[in-house]
Amino acid sequence: MAQTLIMTKAMPLGDMVFIIVAFLLLMLILKKVAYGPLTQVLDQRADKINKDLDEAAQKSQDAASLVDQRVKELAQSKDQASQLIATAKKSAKEQSDSLIQAANTQVAGMRQSAEEDAAQMKDDAMNTAKKDVADLSVQIASKLIQKELSADDQRALIDAYLAELGQQ
Amino acid sequence: MDEATSTFSFLGLTFTWTTVLSTLLAMTVVVLLAVFLTRKVAIRPSRGQNVIEYVLDFIRGILGDQLPNNLARQFGLYGFTLFLFLVVSNEMGLLLQVKNASDVTLIKSPTADPLIAFSLAIMSLTLAHATGIKTLGFGGYLKNMFLKPYAAMFPLNVVEQVTNFLTLALRLFGNIFAGELMLNLLASMAFSLHGFGWIAALPLEMAWQAFSLLIGGIQAYVFVMLTAVFTAQLSGEE
Repeated sequence: MAQTLIMTKAMPLGDMVFIIVAFLLLMLILKKVAYGPLTQVLDQRADKINKDLDEAAQKSQDAASLVDQRVKELAQSKDQASQLIATAKKSAKEQSDSLIQAANTQVAGMRQSAEEDAAQMKDDAMNTAKKDVADLSVQIASKLIQKELSADDQRALIDAYLAELGQQ
Repeated sequence: MDEATSTFSFLGLTFTWTTVLSTLLAMTVVVLLAVFLTRKVAIRPSRGQNVIEYVLDFIRGILGDQLPNNLARQFGLYGFTLFLFLVVSNEMGLLLQVKNASDVTLIKSPTADPLIAFSLAIMSLTLAHATGIKTLGFGGYLKNMFLKPYAAMFPLNVVEQVTNFLTLALRLFGNIFAGELMLNLLASMAFSLHGFGWIAALPLEMAWQAFSLLIGGIQAYVFVMLTAVFTAQLSGEE
């Protein structure tokens, strides 16, 4: 009886020490084998998820700003294009206007010079004709009247006469 | 409890074979399980890793519900180890009970032994008290433990500390021990009635094993949770 009592008193301490030491060892082993790697991987995963989310946000922001930029650029190029077209139209019109004007003036000038030429030629023809007629008349008259009037007198007479004719 | 035991001495301490063998077996199973489930730890988890990650998450959930963040992190490894060890220990006796020729039990659920349950409770509460002292300082720790919510509660608080310890250990031991006792009774019933007892005993044994499986899991969960609760109380978190 005394023996068993001593045994039951002596037993617990050894077992308790064994259990606690074994448990602490188990903790160490598990830390090395499972807990350490697992927590590390969980942390890494959390980091990765955070990073990916940040990246995604950044990317969508970038994309939005790119879209803005493109839209702005598009509007700008549209403006530029319409400006270009407008200036092209304007310059074309100016050019055609100036061309037309130049042509008009040229035509006008040509007509004027033609008219002038015509008038000149008419005058010349008239003058020559007058002179020829006068000479001819003088010759005829001198032949007819046999030098009663001087040639100059005759011419003056005929000129006057012709002038009268011209006025009529 | 008045079972026959076989002991050996080492360094002046006496050890019980049942305790040593059962504990070592349970721990070996835990280690093998952990190694097996974490063979390939990767950011993209495999199936085994998912299982053990779920366990870790579960433990972190229990601790996080009771403790502030920094303490919950510090207790992660302890809770993880404690839970795995308790689950394996609690369920082990359902599958395996070994007796030697002279009817001495060599292997059973370690937690069906009151001594082991008390040892684990002592360990958990030591940790809880140490955390309390570390967090509040010695004076603050004593005041928080005995004089809250007011000084007149002192006697009740003393009783509470003692019962905390007793209930933590006895709840675990009682549940597992009773489960195994019942299994043994049903098993002996199977060999009674001129060898026909098994017809009635088999379905009962199966049902009771299923129930004990559930109880074992629940007790492991409760033990870890109470450890967290006591730690929170003793370090003034409430």
